[in-house]
Amino acid sequence: MQELTAQLREKAKELLDAKTVDLVIGYGPTGDNGEMTAVFARKPEDVEKLGLNGQCFRNLAVYLNKPEVRKQGKPAIVVKGCDRRALNVLIRERRLAREDLHIIGVNCDGVGEPLMGKCKFCSVHNPEECDDVLGDQIEMPAEDGQFDDVGEMEQLSGDERWKFWSEKLGECIRCYACRQVCPMCYCKRCVVEKNIPQWVETSPHLRGNLSWNVIRAFHLTGRCIGCGECERVCPMAIPIGLINKKLTKLVKEEFQFAAGMTDDEKGPFSTFDLDIDTDKGIL
Amino acid sequence: MKEPEQKLVVPNGWLEALVRKLRVQGTRVLAPVERDGAVDFREINSADEMAANYVNTRVPLKEILFPRTETILEFDQPSGGDVVFSGVEANAAPTIVIGARPCDLSAIGVLDTVFNWDYHDTFYGQRRANTTFVGVACREADGNCFCGSVAGGAGENEGSDVFVRPTADGALLEIMTERGKKLAQSIDDAAPAAGKEEPLPVAATEERFDVEKIKGWLDDHFDDDFWLDVSLKCLGCGACSYLCPTCHCFDIVDESDWRGGERRRNWDCCSFALFTLHTSGHNPRPDQQSRCRNRLMHKFKYFVERFGRRACVGCGRCIRVCGAGQNIVNVLIDITRAEAATSGSA
Ligand code: SF4
Ligand code: SF4
Ligand code: SF4
Ligand code: SF4
Repeated sequence: MQELTAQLREKAKELLDAKTVDLVIGYGPTGDNGEMTAVFARKPEDVEKLGLNGQCFRNLAVYLNKPEVRKQGKPAIVVKGCDRRALNVLIRERRLAREDLHIIGVNCDGVGEPLMGKCKFCSVHNPEECDDVLGDQIEMPAEDGQFDDVGEMEQLSGDERWKFWSEKLGECIRCYACRQVCPMCYCKRCVVEKNIPQWVETSPHLRGNLSWNVIRAFHLTGRCIGCGECERVCPMAIPIGLINKKLTKLVKEEFQFAAGMTDDEKGPFSTFDLDIDTDKGIL
Repeated sequence: MKEPEQKLVVPNGWLEALVRKLRVQGTRVLAPVERDGAVDFREINSADEMAANYVNTRVPLKEILFPRTETILEFDQPSGGDVVFSGVEANAAPTIVIGARPCDLSAIGVLDTVFNWDYHDTFYGQRRANTTFVGVACREADGNCFCGSVAGGAGENEGSDVFVRPTADGALLEIMTERGKKLAQSIDDAAPAAGKEEPLPVAATEERFDVEKIKGWLDDHFDDDFWLDVSLKCLGCGACSYLCPTCHCFDIVDESDWRGGERRRNWDCCSFALFTLHTSGHNPRPDQQSRCRNRLMHKFKYFVERFGRRACVGCGRCIRVCGAGQNIVNVLIDITRAEAATSGSA
């Protein structure tokens, strides 16, 4: 780990010194407990704040959508394999151009203590198509049972599911942390903020919360890369990731598709292609 | 610390008996209850339901007086007729809140100031008048509590109607207000304190920075790169404000079907880009650095100038809930360091 941190700092310094990039978005320890949070190195001397360890669970790709960060100039970004998938979606959706970005991939054998759920089922331990890669190649087969929790939910009756979700979603306070942390939630004005007409009620009552959480999941279908950030940041501990996972499972079964594996993939709900889409449909 | 009106000593079991009595009388009792690992204020019927160990509740005390959403007006248009408006009563049943923490109680003082400033908020006011707060000294703090740096610390009694200091064989009750005296009448086996009771030690919440240095620096640093540095990682969500016991901004929305509906007041938050967006498209706080700056300035400068007190009580919730790992203590420490550097060079 110390070695990786040293390599990262050296790389970041080289990029900033040569002005290849204007900032390096990475991780670094903050505060008394050394929690690994986002660090934005804008000057060569800032690279001392960068670090890497097994607690780098955040997905930094979200910061590429923030106008405040974009204003700082050309970024280099530190990504794990899962985060790299988020970049693929952003590139295929024309949010980012590959050449405007310097990608520092980190081979990753899992983060979190205990290991985060997503890491057990990860198939992208070694991020691909990066400008630099740090760390040794990881051989770590994905465990089975990625969708077991979705399966358990599917076993419940409609009434039981309604009760479960009414209780959980009833707690949502509409802080939108889930949206703000999600790399795929980049709309300049979210549908929940549109009020002529008001599509989604903004009050944190069950009716409004159901509309909000369901519409958000819909908008992420075939786009969510399962980084788990939305669920991690939810202050009310709502298992919102499970809704996305259900849709991820459906997309996998129906379209044999997983989001973010390449940057020129055709997303099932964002592609119109007469050769693929032979259904007569409504048009 | 305020001098109590009265001090009483009660034996173990006093709380159980009190809750029983209040429930028999039909009084609503709220206390910290654990559910799925989260402790929040909920209605209880018996003291057994109370969480045994908790540093503080997840949702702050403010929600009891200022709920996340509430209806403030109803409207209806019967077919062909005029729109009929009907007022709504605040849901202000007499309530006893047991187990509130000193930081959150001190925050109620902040809310009192705002909701009675130029306009007396009736919804808030009615609930406030009907709620009695039983505060409890904290025996445990976590690494994010910093009440000792910005407020009275883990044993502060101000803001409570009755303040409980646990002792080895019961508690020392400090009766602080008229409402507290009224509640004390329902407490059995209470004896006047002799003055030599020894409350169990409260949590250590040592001073982590000199809060007196903050405002002076803020006064001179509205425009400063500091704000960009501290705000780049902020995601601009509402978690820190919604769960802050002193944050009190709200939004008003109408929700209706084709005929009638209701007007609601919901929590709002200055970290959202939409918060200050004008209809013209202009946004006076156009970026996250201006929004983060506002949140801090409001708590440590504007509120102080307007009302003579700070609007942060050091509960640490904003640190616990922030998904980006933003930490107000680190920011405040950085400010005191910057202050030391500027005053040193002057
Ligand atoms: S919806 Fe959640 S898990 Fe999916 S990409 Fe967004 S933050 Fe990650
Ligand atoms: S983060 Fe949680 S509480 Fe906040 S809006 Fe999302 S689901 Fe609701
Ligand atoms: S400081 Fe954290 S909780 Fe507050 S708005 Fe920023 S990201 Fe959200
Ligand atoms: S700003 Fe943070 S620490 Fe201060 S009162 Fe609000 S939530 Fe608590």
